[in-house]
Amino acid sequence: MSGSALIHVVVSGLATGCIYALVALSLVIVYNATRTVNFAQGEMLMVSAFVAWSAQHTAGLPLPAALACGIVAGGLLALLVERLIIRRAVSATHWDVLIITLGLSLVLRAAAGIVWTNEELPFPALFSNRPIAIGPVRVAPVSLGVIGASLALMLTLVVLFRATRFGRAMRAVAQNQNAARLMGISVEGVFSGTWVLAAVVGAVAGVLIAPVTFLSTKMGLIAINGFTAAVLGGFGSLPGAVAGGMLLGVIENLAPLYLPSGIRYSVPFLVMIGILVARPRGLFGRVERRKV
Amino acid sequence: MRAAAWTIGVAAALGWPLVAPRYLVFLATLVAVNAIVAIGLNLLSGYTNQLSFGHAGFLAIGAYTAAILTLRVTALPVPVTLLAAGVVTGLVGLALGIPCLRLEGLYLAMATLAFGFVVTEAISNLDALTRGNDGLHVPLARLGPWALDSDRARYYLALAVAAGMILAALNLAATRTGRAFLAIRTSEVAAQASGINPAAYKTVAFVLSAFYTGVAGGLFAFVVGFLSPDAFDVFLSVDFLVMIILGGLGSVWGSVAGAAIVTVLNDSLAGFQTYRPLIFGAIMIVCMLFAPGGLAALTRRHS
Repeated sequence: MSGSALIHVVVSGLATGCIYALVALSLVIVYNATRTVNFAQGEMLMVSAFVAWSAQHTAGLPLPAALACGIVAGGLLALLVERLIIRRAVSATHWDVLIITLGLSLVLRAAAGIVWTNEELPFPALFSNRPIAIGPVRVAPVSLGVIGASLALMLTLVVLFRATRFGRAMRAVAQNQNAARLMGISVEGVFSGTWVLAAVVGAVAGVLIAPVTFLSTKMGLIAINGFTAAVLGGFGSLPGAVAGGMLLGVIENLAPLYLPSGIRYSVPFLVMIGILVARPRGLFGRVERRKV
Repeated sequence: MRAAAWTIGVAAALGWPLVAPRYLVFLATLVAVNAIVAIGLNLLSGYTNQLSFGHAGFLAIGAYTAAILTLRVTALPVPVTLLAAGVVTGLVGLALGIPCLRLEGLYLAMATLAFGFVVTEAISNLDALTRGNDGLHVPLARLGPWALDSDRARYYLALAVAAGMILAALNLAATRTGRAFLAIRTSEVAAQASGINPAAYKTVAFVLSAFYTGVAGGLFAFVVGFLSPDAFDVFLSVDFLVMIILGGLGSVWGSVAGAAIVTVLNDSLAGFQTYRPLIFGAIMIVCMLFAPGGLAALTRRHS
C-alpha cells in the first residue's frame, strides 16, 4: 500500500479515535468522581444526537444552533437522571448504580425508538466528506474537522480541570471525598456537575459521529469502544483515555488492511480482552492501592 | 407446611404437560432452561459478586456443542450430549476465568461482555462447523431407542435436568466450596484471613457457572431446534441479569422465580418488541432502588 493511502487511513483512524477518546473521557470523568461507570453514557449521547436532529428538522433551527440544542439537552438529561435516580442510590454499593445505569440504557434506547424511530436516519454534517488534496496526501475534511473539534474540547477540559474552582473541587472529590467535604465542597454538587460535564462531552462526540455512522438508537453501543479506549489507556486516567481512544481508532482502521475484513467489528473486543488479560491497568495506568 | 409445598410443587411440575396446551408446555420448558442459566449466573454474581455480561456466549457454546455432537455422532444418548455441552463450556469458562482472575468487578464485566461478542462473531465466521448466519438445524435428542420428538418429552427432559441442578445448587451451601463462596460474598478480606483463597474459589465459581449455562445451552438447542448466532446477543445476557436481579442475588429459588417471570414476560411482550427493553430496564432500576434483594428478600421479610 502506498504511503499516502496509508496516511489517509491513519488520519481517518485518528478522527474515529478522537470520538472514542471523547466517549472514554465522559466515562472516566464520572468514574473518577463517583467510582461508578455510567453504562447509559452511550444512550445519553444518542438522545442528544436525536434532539439535535429534531431541532433542525422539526423546529427548523440552523445546524450549529441545533447541535447546541442537542448538547444542552444532553446536559439536562444527565442532571435529571443524577438528581432523580442516581442520587437515591448514592449510599448503595456501586453494583447497584451499575445495574441502575444498565437499566437506564435499556429504557433510554427503547424510549428513543418510541419517540423518534428505530430506523437509521442521515444526520447533517458540519464538514464535507469529499477528500481534498494536501500536497500528495488526500484527506477528508470531515476527519480534520472532527480532530480539530475534539482537540479544542479536550483543551477546554484541561483548562476546566486545572484553572477553575469547579475543576479543583472535582479533583478534590476524586482524591478523597471526606476531606473534600471538610473543605466545604458540596460533594453532591460535584456529582451532579460531573454527570452534566460527562454528558456534554459525550453529546459532542455524538453529534460528531452521527453524520458518519448515521443516527440510530443503536449508536449508544459506541460506549463499548469508549470503554475499551479508557481501559487501553488505564481506566481513570484522562490523558490515558485520549491516547487509548486514538490508538483504538487507528488499530480499528488498519486491522482490515492486514487481517480478514470481517474482523473490523471484533477489533474493540479483541483489544479489550487482550489488554485486560495482559495488562489490566492499561498501557499507562498505575497500580491502585486498596485499603481494607 | 414445607412438605406440603414441595408435594404441590412437584405434582404441578409433573402434571403440567397433561393439562396445559402444547404452547404452554413449550414455554414451561424454556422456563426450566432459563432457570438453569439463572442459577448458574447467580453462582457467579450472587455468591462471588462478579457480574457477567457474557452468559449468552456460554449458552451459545453449550448449544452449538450439543447440536454439532448430535449431528456428528449418531444415536448419542442425550445425557451424554448435555454433559459434554456442560464440560466443554466449563472448560471455556476455565480458559476465560484464569486470566480474568486478575480482574475485578467492572473489568471482569467488560471482559465477559467482549467475550460474548467474540463468541457470536466466531459462530458467524466458522461456517464449516456452525453454518454461520444461515443457522443450524438441530436433530432430535435421542435416549436409547426413543427420539424425544414431542414437546411433552422435551419438557420432562428439561424438568429432570433442571430439578437435578436446582438440588445441587441448594446443597452447594452445605459443602466446603459453598461455604467458601458465601464467605467471599460477605467479605473477601475476611475470607482471605480465614485461609480461603478467593482467586481459586472465584475460578471454581466461574467454571461452575459456565458448566450450568453450557448444560442449559444443550437443552436450549434441543428445545428450540434451530440455532443462529444472532439469538445469543448481548441482550440475552442482559435478560439473564434481569432474572437474577428480579429474583434475588444469591438465591436459588429467586433465580427460578426470576427466570419464570422474565421468560413469560418475554413471551407475552413478543408483539410489543419496542416496549420490551423499556419494561426490563424499568424492572432493573426499580428493583435496585426499592428492592435490592429481589423477590427472595421480599418473601423473606414477610415470613
